[in-house]
Amino acid sequence: MEHATFIIGSYVLTFGSIATYIAWFLRRSRAIDKFLDEKDKPWT
Amino acid sequence: MDLSPRSTSDVTPQGRSTRSRQKWLPMVIVAVAIVAGGVVVTRFLTSAIDYYCNVDEIGVRSGCDEGRRIRVQGVVVEGSLSKVSGATTFDLSFHNKTVSVRYEGDPGGVFQECIPVVAHGRLEEGLFASDRIEVKHSNEYVEKNDTRLQQSDKEAAACSVQEG
Amino acid sequence: MPGTSTPTGTRATRVLGVVTLAFSLWLIVFGLVVSAEDVVQGSTVRIMYVHVPSIWVAYVAFALTAVVSAVYLSGKNRSLAWDRVAGASAEIGVLFVAISLVTGSLWGRLTWGTYWVWDARLTSTAFLFITYIGYLAVRGLGGTFRQRARRSAVLALLAVLEIPLVHFSVVIWRSLHQESTVANSGTDVELDGLMLFTLFLGIVTFTMLFVWMVLHRQRSLALQDAVDSHGLDVAIEQRRQEAEAR
Repeated sequence: MEHATFIIGSYVLTFGSIATYIAWFLRRSRAIDKFLDEKDKPWT
Repeated sequence: MDLSPRSTSDVTPQGRSTRSRQKWLPMVIVAVAIVAGGVVVTRFLTSAIDYYCNVDEIGVRSGCDEGRRIRVQGVVVEGSLSKVSGATTFDLSFHNKTVSVRYEGDPGGVFQECIPVVAHGRLEEGLFASDRIEVKHSNEYVEKNDTRLQQSDKEAAACSVQEG
Repeated sequence: MPGTSTPTGTRATRVLGVVTLAFSLWLIVFGLVVSAEDVVQGSTVRIMYVHVPSIWVAYVAFALTAVVSAVYLSGKNRSLAWDRVAGASAEIGVLFVAISLVTGSLWGRLTWGTYWVWDARLTSTAFLFITYIGYLAVRGLGGTFRQRARRSAVLALLAVLEIPLVHFSVVIWRSLHQESTVANSGTDVELDGLMLFTLFLGIVTFTMLFVWMVLHRQRSLALQDAVDSHGLDVAIEQRRQEAEAR
């Protein structure tokens, strides 16, 4: 593949940044979850 | 009962202390965003000073005058491209009008014959001296079946795409 | 990523998460391997399959932010949940605009020969990005939840007006950026079969990813708000007890 660095790089960047963002807010949710009751989570 | 605000250190849950710690940060970000927005708009307006002309508008449309710094849009004429001692020369055409372009260096990108480009520079004595060339790719995408196409085939393919 | 025991997950998000993950892998395989090269651009066209869906999701995200903000402001339903959906959606939109700008810049380097030009489409997209960074910062300025909701809802309704400007900028101003390939009013789509399929696969995948992310993120913001309000409750309780002890 020509320009493989740019092309694969753009895929890595895309999925990498999405995964990093998701991991960040899921970790944060888990961290604060212990301060909360079930009534704070109406979706459960 | 005393309900006056206190330092956050005596309030246990994390949420409160996080909020007060971050209070200045959003203000800084808002300020930076406003400045950045201004910079972006300014850059756009200043770079748009060079008139954007089609080849057939040179010397016709107001602002697209000879000797003035402009941006010219056209298609690289088939068979006109030559690279001699580091300089690239080619003809640029649009609506049956053609102008010769000289660019010092290699334009890069997917620059080739039959492709629409935008050349920055000025027209002097019939020759458009360009110091910047951008390839304007059309929004047509055609599958290439043989991945080992030669460069000449590639250019022929570009010409056939342009001709429709 | 999706699945596992997260406090913001439900059965529905777990199912959606697994499907989205499968689609993402499918997209990567089709985008990088299966789909054909373009006659002019060669492999470079593969960047399109993440670049175009990213800006699509960003448009959808900012539109959703505006719609839920309008619902909140209309006063029929003043649930703070609307505000949290608005915040979550805008945050995700900012991420996807950033992705779109970076992948577009890489693509531009390969096709136009330059990372960046101050042309209408690129400039207006950069401006959109900055605007929503500002929106997120305004959300964090403090005050009560109601103040935050109201303030940011008004801003969201103003900011969304930039989207048509960005999208039609290539038509309004002469631009280096190509016009929309698929999302234009004409019916003549100028993409060959498998390329078109891969692009649509990208759009579908990214849209599912967006839905999954908004569901989780707005719940995680709800947890954050709950912690913040409990923090206040704790403080009030503490002082009440102190006052009684005197």
